[in-house]
Order: sequence, then structure tokens, then C-alpha cells
Amino acid sequence: MPSKNRYEERFTSLKKSNKGAFMPFTVLGWPDEETSFSIIKTMIDSGASALELGIAFSDPVADGPIIQAAAHKVIEDGFTVSQALDLVARVRKYDESIPVGLLVYYNHVMAKGIDQFFARAAECGVDGVLIADLPAESADEILQAGSANGVNVIFIVSPLTREARLSKIVTHAGGFIYLVSRLGVTGTDERDSDRDNRLAALIASVKKATTLPVLAGFGISTPIHAEKMMSLGADGVITGSKIVDLVTKAGSNWQKELETYLKQMVDALNSVKV
Amino acid sequence: MRTLGKFGVYGGVYVPETLMPALEELENAFENIVPGEEFKTQLNSLLTDYAGRPTPLYHAKNLSKSWGAQVFLKREDLLHGGAHKTNNALGQALLSKMMGKERIIAETGAGQHGVACAMAGALLGLKTEVYMGEVDMERQKPNVFRMQLLGTTVHPVKTGSRTLKDAINEALRDWIGNLENTHYLLGTVAGPHPFPSLVKHFQRIIGEEASRQIEEKTGRQPDYVVACVGGGSNAMGIFAEFVDKTSVKLVGVEPAGAGLETGKHGAVLARGSFGCVHGMKSLVLQTDEGQIQEAHSISAGLDYPSVGPEHAFLKDTGRARYDSATDKEALAAFHELCREEGIIPALESSHALVVGKKLAQGEAAGKVIVINLSGRGDKDLHEVMKHAQ
Repeated sequence: MPSKNRYEERFTSLKKSNKGAFMPFTVLGWPDEETSFSIIKTMIDSGASALELGIAFSDPVADGPIIQAAAHKVIEDGFTVSQALDLVARVRKYDESIPVGLLVYYNHVMAKGIDQFFARAAECGVDGVLIADLPAESADEILQAGSANGVNVIFIVSPLTREARLSKIVTHAGGFIYLVSRLGVTGTDERDSDRDNRLAALIASVKKATTLPVLAGFGISTPIHAEKMMSLGADGVITGSKIVDLVTKAGSNWQKELETYLKQMVDALNSVKV
Repeated sequence: MRTLGKFGVYGGVYVPETLMPALEELENAFENIVPGEEFKTQLNSLLTDYAGRPTPLYHAKNLSKSWGAQVFLKREDLLHGGAHKTNNALGQALLSKMMGKERIIAETGAGQHGVACAMAGALLGLKTEVYMGEVDMERQKPNVFRMQLLGTTVHPVKTGSRTLKDAINEALRDWIGNLENTHYLLGTVAGPHPFPSLVKHFQRIIGEEASRQIEEKTGRQPDYVVACVGGGSNAMGIFAEFVDKTSVKLVGVEPAGAGLETGKHGAVLARGSFGCVHGMKSLVLQTDEGQIQEAHSISAGLDYPSVGPEHAFLKDTGRARYDSATDKEALAAFHELCREEGIIPALESSHALVVGKKLAQGEAAGKVIVINLSGRGDKDLHEVMKHAQ
């Protein structure tokens, strides 16, 4: 466990004031380095509770078309993994206390070397690393590097994760539990209310297994979705594709539209009684 | 998972959490349904009566004479569908059916695996959808049409490099969203466990037959077994039976494309580095920072920037060795087989012929060489004509 756990501090204080956590996501370096930094600053300034930042990978199997396209552009533009980590360091300078998570694919970690990757991430002020294609079965490969460098290893729980796997996952998990709220890849598709209702039971069983906060992601794009997740027992939500999509469509007006959207989400999460 | 399907440091299960239940279910089916009598009887009947197994082991006397060794061709080109891919497609499609799935999805590069799935899907009444890179669809139009004739929907993949590797990503994404009714019918000995072992299981019939047939024809086992390697399913299929017969030398042939030194190749075992992609650890063509690079080969079926993890393992242990053949060499071998034996080989298999010939004219002079002729070349006529002009 990291000595200074920003996740724990932030989630505890949110809980005290009865607020849900809002964790927006974007791809580092998208659509370019400076705009990416501005997008992240806008997230912080609009009241994001924590950040989830993705490193663009050439073969992102867990991501839907919106994030894929963003990642593809970042790579085409020649923006590197090491530049992405440098950008995280700038974000950390801008805000000392916001928890910052990295969403990466395992090949980037392996290419740098597992220890070196976690050491560099820690240096840049990263609080948690979620490796999208590293399931709990193989988590042993990185746990040591995570704890040696004071970086939480974040894990995903899905609606199909059974009891036995859940208990394995929570023994390794740090920071928070990333709850995949619907099957499929990341995206902004319509939600299915039957499935949402089954989520309540899943969230309850995760909460029984761990004291870590549960944040719901995948297909969460509106304040109504956020309120729904909170009513089902989640501690907050993660939104990614919606943000990339919104910035893409807004063109030169992106900053204003993004602010408006982020504030709506924050308001929705602040007004829910948890 | 009961096991992680490791081959030394290679293989394993490196997929999003959302895919784990499907792999657990598949591992369970592989261990419990596949060894059962009912499954074995049905598959055996399909392979024999529908697909045309056993395929011949043909003593290529003209080549033997001209190359100076005893050359035998394992005629997977004569299998229904025109390539070894049918073995695996029938096996997995039958398994899907017994698992209660209604729908199969697949990736395809050259289109041979897609066609094999389309045939199996039509035969067994499974809704079939195939992901194919937009670039490959353009290169392999006849196979796209064949799949459509067989009732399959072909989805153009427009992401990334728009080739095989992106088609695999897209199929995985589809699967993640449709685990309950869908089986992902992966076409090669790659991907997360249990796929490398499952596909090997359905392809090992190639080597089992070849071993028996060469014994009947020559009274002994071969000195060399040679096969081309893209993902590596035909090679693993013919190698598997011989791995424990240590006197038999196993030689895989990778696509050297325009030449290893040009960077435009698919010789992953020769030039790749340790990495993780498509759910497995293996050797991978990648940048220093770990972005996956594109492979290049005249033959779309060998155009893959990684390789089955067991091949990486066989290379490390020295049990198999891996050579490569350039586009130009493969084309020359293609023409040679057409003229010498009256057989039009797939460009993939032509790579194996290149190295078979080199061996025959070198260290393997006078020896018995079995070459896996993994597919027929009808699909490649357009490509070959382009180069003839």
C-alpha cells in the first residue's frame, strides 16, 4: 500500500460529505499534447474527484470505436508512451491531491520492464494502474512492482465475474474496484434497465467482499446514468467515451461544452444521497 | 481457469476480465466435451464424409528427382475448402453447437479460415459472422464472395491497420459483448488459453496421418517435417505428432516478405521480441515502446505480427528450428510446383517448399522430407498474375 494514498483520502472525504465520485477518462496526448493537457485541466477545474488516463495502444481490445479512434490518432501522430507519462507528471504538478489512475495494456508495461514502468509511473505521480488485459490469474506478475513503488493495482469486476474470481480479485485490488456496468467494450450505447437492476446485486456482493469503493464504468454517459448507478449502490462513476466523443463533435467550442457536461455530472453525483 | 496454458514463458491468459468467463467455459468444454465419445464420433464422421480425410501423402517423384531427396507432400490442399483450416473450423463449430451456442464469429486474413467457418456454420446451422480487415477484403475478393454465398455476414474492419490483427481485435470485442450465445472460432494456435491447445488438438490429425502414411510408404519416419508458419496452425498440426520422435527434424518457415533486412516481413520468430498481444505472451513485431507493428508478406495468410506461443517455445528449446522465405522465393516455388507436379499450391505453402528445396539440396540430400502443403493456390491466382505481368 502506498504511504500517501490519494484514493483513500479522496474517497473518504467524498463519503463524509455524502457525494458520489466522478472519475472522467481521456486518452493521453489526444487530440494533441497541449489540448490533452487542457482537457485534463478542465476536468480538474470542473470538479472531477479523480482521473483515469489512458495510454494509447495499437491493439486496444477492451475499447470501443471512440477510444480506439482516439488511440489510433495519438499513435499516428507519433506521441509516445514516455511522452504520455511526462504529461501525467505535468498533471500532477497542476494538482497535487487529485488521485490519478493510468489505464494501460500489458504490452506497454512489459516493453518498458514491469519494475521500470511502475517506478516511472510513481515518479510521475500516478496513484493507480489498471492493466486492461491482465486478469487476476496473472496479477502476481505485477503486484510486487506495484507495492514496491507505492502504486495501487486496480482491477475490474464484471457482471459475469463469479464468486470465486471475485474473492481472488479483491485480495489483489487497491484504490477502488472498477465495475464494468454492462457487457461489451467501452462506449456510449443505450443502457438496458433489466441489466442495471441485476447490477445492484453484484455491487452488494462486491461490497461484502471488500471495503474499497466501487466505481461503475462502461456505458455511463449521462447524469441520469450516474444517478442510477448511485441508486444501485455504487460509490461513483467513470466516464470516458462520452468525453472523447463530446470533444470531437464540439470542435472549437469543446472547452465550454466539456465544462457544462462535467459540471452536470458532478452535480448529479453531489445531489445523490449515498 | 484450471490452467493458464503456458508454454515456458509463452502463452497464458491475458485478456480483459469481461472475457474470462467465456475462456473458463471454453476450457471446461475442451476438457469435458471434446474427449467424449459422442463428440469424437460426430467429428470423425464430418472429417471423413464431409471434408475428405484422410488427405493423401503424395510422393512427389518429379521434385524428388530434381531436388535430390525423397519429397512427400501432405495434401491438405485437397481438403474440402482448400486448406487445413477446415479441420479446426469443423471441430470448434461442432463444439460450439454442443456448448449450446447459436452464433459463431471469426477473424480472417486471407479468407481461408473465414471460408472454413462459413462452411461449418452453414452445415451445422450456426449463424456465422466474420471480421475481415478492409484492406484484406480488397485483396481477397473471391473469398469474401465465397463466404457470402455460404450465408455468412462479412464485417469490414476499419480500425487500426485494417488487416488480420485488427480483425482479431474486433472479433474479441464482439465476443466480450455476446458471450452468452456466441463462440469465437479463432483460426490459429494463438490467442489466450485454451485456444493454442484447442486449435492444435483439432489440427494434429495432419501429423497423425502423415506419420502413419510415411510409415506405410517407406517403412520409417521422416527425417524432416517442413511447414509454413504465420500464426502457426498447420505447422503445429503436423509437428505435434513428431515432437516426441526426436529423430525427426522439425522446420518452420516464416515469411521474409521483401527481405528480413527491409523490415517488411512477418518473420516474428526470427526478428520479433517478447511481448503480449491478443491475449497471449509470445514473440511480437513491435516498437521499443510496445506498439504492435504490421507484418508484410505476399501471402495474406502469413501476414501476422505475432505467432503461436508454442512455436516460440519450440524455438527456445531447440526442438524446432525456423527459417524464412522471401516473397520472391515463394513465387518461384509456386511456379515450380505447378510445372513439376501439376499442383497449384497456396502462396503460404509455397514458403515451405522453398525451404524444403534448400534442405534437399543441402544437409538433407537423399533424406525423406515431408512438406505440409497446407492449401491450394486458386485463391492466389490474382496475386500471382499481378507479379507475372
